[in-house]
Amino acid sequence: MDELKIGVYVCNCGTNIAHIVNAEGVKEAAAALPDVVIARSYRYMCSNPGQEMIVKDIQELGLNRVVVAACSPRMHERTFRNACKTGGLNPYLFEMANIREQCSWVHADKLAATEKAKALTHGAVNRVRHHEPLDSLTAEMCPSTLVLGGGIAGMTAALELAMAGHPVYLVEKADHLGGNLARVDSTAPYLDSARDLLTERITHLRENPDISIMLNSQLKSLSGFIGNFSATIETNGGPNPPERKVIPVGNVVVATGYKEFDASRITHYGYGKLPDVITSFEFEQMMRAGRIQTKSGKPPQYVAIIHCVGSRNQEFHGYCSRVCCMTALKYANEIKSALPDSYVSDVYIDMHAFGKGCEDFYKKSSEIKTLFLMYGKNESPVIRKAGPNDDCGMLIEVDEKLSGERIEIPADLVILMVGMEARPDAGEVARLVNISADKDGWFIESHPKLDPVATTTDGIYIAGTCAAPKDIPDSVAQARAAAGRILAKIAKGKIEIDGVFAEINEDRCSGCRMCNELCPYSAIEFYADKKRSHVIPAACKACGACVAACPSGAIKGRHFTDQQIYAQIEGVLA
Amino acid sequence: MSYEPKIVGFLCNWCSYTGADLAGTSRIQYPANVRIIRVMCSARIDPTFVMDALAQGADGVLICGCHPGDCHYSEGNYKAMRRFPLLKNLLKSYGIEDDRVRQAWVSASEGQRFADIVGDMTERVRALGPSRVHSTLLADQRER
Repeated sequence: MDELKIGVYVCNCGTNIAHIVNAEGVKEAAAALPDVVIARSYRYMCSNPGQEMIVKDIQELGLNRVVVAACSPRMHERTFRNACKTGGLNPYLFEMANIREQCSWVHADKLAATEKAKALTHGAVNRVRHHEPLDSLTAEMCPSTLVLGGGIAGMTAALELAMAGHPVYLVEKADHLGGNLARVDSTAPYLDSARDLLTERITHLRENPDISIMLNSQLKSLSGFIGNFSATIETNGGPNPPERKVIPVGNVVVATGYKEFDASRITHYGYGKLPDVITSFEFEQMMRAGRIQTKSGKPPQYVAIIHCVGSRNQEFHGYCSRVCCMTALKYANEIKSALPDSYVSDVYIDMHAFGKGCEDFYKKSSEIKTLFLMYGKNESPVIRKAGPNDDCGMLIEVDEKLSGERIEIPADLVILMVGMEARPDAGEVARLVNISADKDGWFIESHPKLDPVATTTDGIYIAGTCAAPKDIPDSVAQARAAAGRILAKIAKGKIEIDGVFAEINEDRCSGCRMCNELCPYSAIEFYADKKRSHVIPAACKACGACVAACPSGAIKGRHFTDQQIYAQIEGVLA
Repeated sequence: MSYEPKIVGFLCNWCSYTGADLAGTSRIQYPANVRIIRVMCSARIDPTFVMDALAQGADGVLICGCHPGDCHYSEGNYKAMRRFPLLKNLLKSYGIEDDRVRQAWVSASEGQRFADIVGDMTERVRALGPSRVHSTLLADQRER
């Protein structure tokens, strides 16, 4: 091996690091370590001059290893790897010491923090000595995409991809497209017809030769990796036995939507017992049929709308379902225009009118004389049957927050604004495509702000309400974003696979196959003829489970080798 | 003379290391005794890493991974979890105190929890006094 020449750069991060850690001291300690030919401290290593410093030193001093002691590698590892690359050094011959998030920001004792920063830097210097140049691999990108869910998000993603000329398999569990939107009459705040939105989408979908619509179908298994997935789809065709089809796809959009909260879980609303207590979806049905009426067939004189049914409630779901407030106002408007003599009360916790046009819509709804009553988060209204002397079917008792009084309001029809919840099969879907769900069952994005449609599994994207409650514009935007991400990858043609993966030394492998079972990605195949296991690099996600488990020590976890970790342990304890 | 324990923390990249970073961005303070080593998954933590850290002079070793059911690699933390009692048995047979090696689950959103675990562990290891593993090994080497 060539003589090691390590460059160490200690970032001050303005004062973020330097106000606690003595950066000069860390620099000097690093300079005294073997093989370190240059150590510098600089105000902002991630700035252009900071990066240029590294590039210049690689070129002029012939550095063959670089250590930057700065922020978290989750922040700037890529930045500095690129700087190394610019300087002509393999980007994996670089290591970071996290002396900001895990040192200066969490310790107040300057001396102890400086000692710790020295130790972390020493660990990084020790580790980088054993780094090896790694090359990324390339694999083909299959241009077909699997879209799970034929609601507004799934349909939009499918159209976007197919309009660019790429094959799409749109898989829908039900026997028709449209998802939950197909159960809605019109949309807030502009009261445009849901049917029009759907017809537009479905017509284009059906006309597009690149889209295969698979109804009554479900994903049964997904194997492979980004660019090279193999999906098994099962279709239930009525009297015939289910049919299975295996399709190759490069990417997957998960747009499996939501289900509505089961209102009968809240007993004091009497849903299922009182005939004129209905859910918002049942009211949509009424609107679609064009008749607002009670079970006895009469138009209601008094209508009450109750918000946050199952939402913003610790007993059921703590989150806000986002669409119900505006939908409730939509109902108030629709009822008033269909039955001008009726009285509409809107019983809410807070009015969430955050979207475009929504605040105006709220104002308009107040002007049509909707009676707004505010209840406390944990003081749900109680609905009971009215007595023979009342001129209404039911009475609702509300602890009204603004007046501070207990108010009783009449109702002939009560509409419960049921919230959204994760579908019962969300966990199963997450497992099939190897993504995670949060405590409420919503799928987790790669980054909530910067990467909201990708997941932590490459090639799997999420869109619409399977990720969290959202309205139609947001679902459509996400679906298009997911499609856009996929189109960018398809346009590139090939995918780059990180050089970090496990590899098996065949001379050492005893063929015990322990690793075969351990690998969560089935990335280890067994050569029966040679009686040796082998890692498929593109399928390996580099978790290292097999590396730690191999009884023969035959598996090397690239970039996280035993040697590198032992050296780092020694360094941080020196 | 006061003794400052040295603790080596092996943290998985996706949950615990991110959780430790969050403690930083939230400016949650904890003792400076822990030195963190990042691995991709808690399943990568070979028990020999722990033994090696103790042999190199660590007074305590902390292993952190994603909460059960929440592993980025679906089930790596279960592998780490199953391995741990075996390691504990081994440590016990060497006479290494129970509190010196700990396994804990820290999610990416639990900066405070990470800080609390480090604080608690530092106090426990401080109470135990310096580990004798490193010095015993040194003495053994000298005898040979």
